[in-house]
Amino acid sequence: MAAQPKPLPVHQPSYLEGGGIVGWLTTIDHKRVAVMYLASALLFMAFGGLEAMAIRVQLWTPDNHALSAATYNAFFTMHGTTMIFLVVMPLLLGFFGNFLIPLQIGARDVAFPRLNALSFWLALVAGILLHLGWIRGGLPDAGWFGYANLTERYFTPGLAIDWWVVGLLVSGTSTVLTGLNFLTTIIAMRAPGMTYMRMPMFMWSLLVTSILILIAFPALTIGLIFLLFDRFFDTHFYVASAGATPILWQHLFWLFGHPEVYIMALPAFGIISEVVPTFSRKPLFGYPMMAYSICLIAFLSYGVWGHHMFATGMGPVADSAFAITSMLIAIPTGVKVFSWIATVWGGSLRMTTAFYFALGMILEFTIGGLSGIMHASAPIDLQQTDSYFVVAHFHYVLFGGAMFAILSAFYYWWPKITGRMLGERIGKWHFWLTVVGFNVTFFPMHIVGMWGMPRRTYTYGADMGWTHLNQLETVGAFILGIAFLLFYINIFKSLVSGEHAPADPWDGRSLEWSTPSPPPAYNFATIPQIRGRDAWWILKYGRAGSRGVAAYMSGQAPSQPLASAPADVHIHMPAPSIFPLVTSLGVGTMGLGLIIDWYRIVIIGAAVVVLSIIGMGFEYPDFGQESHDPEHAPSSGGIDVRKIGIWSFIGSECVFFASLISTFIVYKARSVTGPGPEILNIPLTSFSTFILLMSSLLMVLALAATQRGDKRWERIWLGGTVMFGLIFLCGQVYEFTSFMHEGMGLTTNLFSQSFFVLVGFHGAHVAIGVIWLSVLLVAAMTGNLGKSRATSVELAGLYWHFVDVVWIIIFTLVYLMQAVPGA
Amino acid sequence: MSDIADTHGGQVHHPGAATYLIIAAFLVVLTAMEITVFYVHALRPVLVPVLIVLAAAKFALVVMFYMHLKYDGWLLTGVFVFPLMMATVLLVALILLFAYLSNHMAPIG
Repeated sequence: MAAQPKPLPVHQPSYLEGGGIVGWLTTIDHKRVAVMYLASALLFMAFGGLEAMAIRVQLWTPDNHALSAATYNAFFTMHGTTMIFLVVMPLLLGFFGNFLIPLQIGARDVAFPRLNALSFWLALVAGILLHLGWIRGGLPDAGWFGYANLTERYFTPGLAIDWWVVGLLVSGTSTVLTGLNFLTTIIAMRAPGMTYMRMPMFMWSLLVTSILILIAFPALTIGLIFLLFDRFFDTHFYVASAGATPILWQHLFWLFGHPEVYIMALPAFGIISEVVPTFSRKPLFGYPMMAYSICLIAFLSYGVWGHHMFATGMGPVADSAFAITSMLIAIPTGVKVFSWIATVWGGSLRMTTAFYFALGMILEFTIGGLSGIMHASAPIDLQQTDSYFVVAHFHYVLFGGAMFAILSAFYYWWPKITGRMLGERIGKWHFWLTVVGFNVTFFPMHIVGMWGMPRRTYTYGADMGWTHLNQLETVGAFILGIAFLLFYINIFKSLVSGEHAPADPWDGRSLEWSTPSPPPAYNFATIPQIRGRDAWWILKYGRAGSRGVAAYMSGQAPSQPLASAPADVHIHMPAPSIFPLVTSLGVGTMGLGLIIDWYRIVIIGAAVVVLSIIGMGFEYPDFGQESHDPEHAPSSGGIDVRKIGIWSFIGSECVFFASLISTFIVYKARSVTGPGPEILNIPLTSFSTFILLMSSLLMVLALAATQRGDKRWERIWLGGTVMFGLIFLCGQVYEFTSFMHEGMGLTTNLFSQSFFVLVGFHGAHVAIGVIWLSVLLVAAMTGNLGKSRATSVELAGLYWHFVDVVWIIIFTLVYLMQAVPGA
Repeated sequence: MSDIADTHGGQVHHPGAATYLIIAAFLVVLTAMEITVFYVHALRPVLVPVLIVLAAAKFALVVMFYMHLKYDGWLLTGVFVFPLMMATVLLVALILLFAYLSNHMAPIG
């Protein structure tokens, strides 16, 4: 028999209550972090929206000079950058993802709450850095894709691109930490009984999106690091005259950039898969196929980046391969569209604003998908690329797809998040103005694009025949602006005087609707036992859809946290922490110092970062308290969440180093001057390799000693590992110094810069490992390690061994294959 | 000393010191073979495949035994192997794409 909702005896304070400003600054509660993401995203959305309006004003008439060309370039660059990195992703992942993951899987928080808070503060710092150009140096103006070599200092001097590079590096770090956190949470912290095939589809989409983040963002990070080196340290990673090729940037950027489209689209698919069944009062049609389709879309999305580069001349084989994968991806996407339609078909529909936006998304996204299939064909793409047709296509995907889904999610989950309803009447106005404004703005772009109007053009001649359609687009943009104004008003009215929301206003299907609106800080008084897909629906109505409990619900009395047992009296939640905020301030200070060329500031920022991370480590509740803290309880699979986290990080690092290594192989024989691979010292590095391999042996022996409680050998083996790590680093310093004496510095040629960056980054990883192990060694020597903290040693060991296996690859591909020509 | 160390309340068994030492010996031997292959001129024609096989063997030994992936179950293997596979695809694809570009690009200057 299904568990019945029970009234709670006392008022439960919601997560929004108490703490004051300090409570918010130090919060690590996933729901409060989500609300902070919301606040920053709404602010940046206003910026991005106003920039879009300014772009449309400039294109209102031919030969217009309402904006200067430079300002126009800056506005379309910042519009794209802001909407993607500071609005759509933060809303989908930071806001809805953060708020709903624990609530939908039946957990009390995410796996790593401090890391979660750090992700938010880093995202905010990134947003601020990206906008500091308003104050000094000007706004970035090379497009959101920042194509090399336009972004080189020779072509774009000043600080504008510097803000962009550093801001995106910080933003990427934040996103990777979020992906790692979400992946671990969904894998490890699902409530008992919630198998993968019982998860809400939104959770499936976020699970797969997290994986995509971990394998896509490192390519962007490497591309940005090369650009940063070019701009700050005079390397030539994208300078053709030095033998390099700007095409490298395009590959690295689109290796990230196309998966990024799905990082924004998959959560949107997940949202629609939640909203449509609720308002159709039917289970999601074809649940397994929907889940498999998400996986297939993500997998294929990693192999389609080349369709952004048909015009660069990759050759017929590569063009064909990318065309085939790009066409294939339409199949699982089509499965999703048909499943949504089949869910609606025959349903008992309730036409709420949330449902309106969901239906709108299905229609508009399908239009964007259809024009996307055209781009999969290389000959057609060559006609359409860099035209307004492409602008129309990706706005139908990202606005018609992602933004419509976001707006649907707002109307659907806002009552749960705030305890207040959004206005339905104003919501309907918002919907219809959005539909009209959106299509009037973007549909004509298909036509002017096919007529030849290039994207990013500052203005156009009166004789081109594009005037009327451009004016129509501008009118549409202003209608869209009014629609969003209504949305902001709706939010404001709801917060001030909105109708109080019951716990389950939509007769929902997933677990979050079992909690009060807004939920208490701990989410669930008792962790629920899951008995099937649509967990809350089954608990309300039973598997057969009995209406017995529905009668109970019909009074719309607040439903209660799932309680198959009396509510826990003492629910331990992780304590607030100031360190995530302090760490991100340190990162921001470092970025600021780097850009304004004041290296003392960089050092101060770095010191703040190091000290605050150490501080976070000391307050880490798990240190020495294995599995007693619900925050880090072993997962349903019996694996410590931290092990899943570190393995996820290591997986992401594989892509990071693969990007570095492939660049080295491509560039090593392209130098037009100076020494090449023959300079490498094989005897020295053979010795270093031996040392690092033996350090891995000592590390694993240290872990074995810790696990059996042998403190003496624990100290000896840990000390030996640290010593061997230091010897390796000394060898690397000697090698680098000798290269300098032989005339090979960082900027000498393509070989030297790709070598120093690759081997230098590995060395940095070794140095971090040495510091980590040194902290453990100190803990061991002061008697603070031991058997109960074996997992702490195991985590450091996993990182250390990974550094070792990366060196195994570097030793082979960089040193021993020195005579093999590059690509 | 037992060759099998019991951890996590008996849920996961990690190998003991003897296994670790055997693996270390294998790693040393494989590294010596790599260096030998590098210096023996007669092996130059097969240098690349031999070195790749030897490096892959060392990589697998460390990951399976020192990082305990052989013992820790399919979940962690999946979390690591899928990105590793994607990284390998990226590496090979970029090398092939730029090899084509090098063969078809106009000479500098």
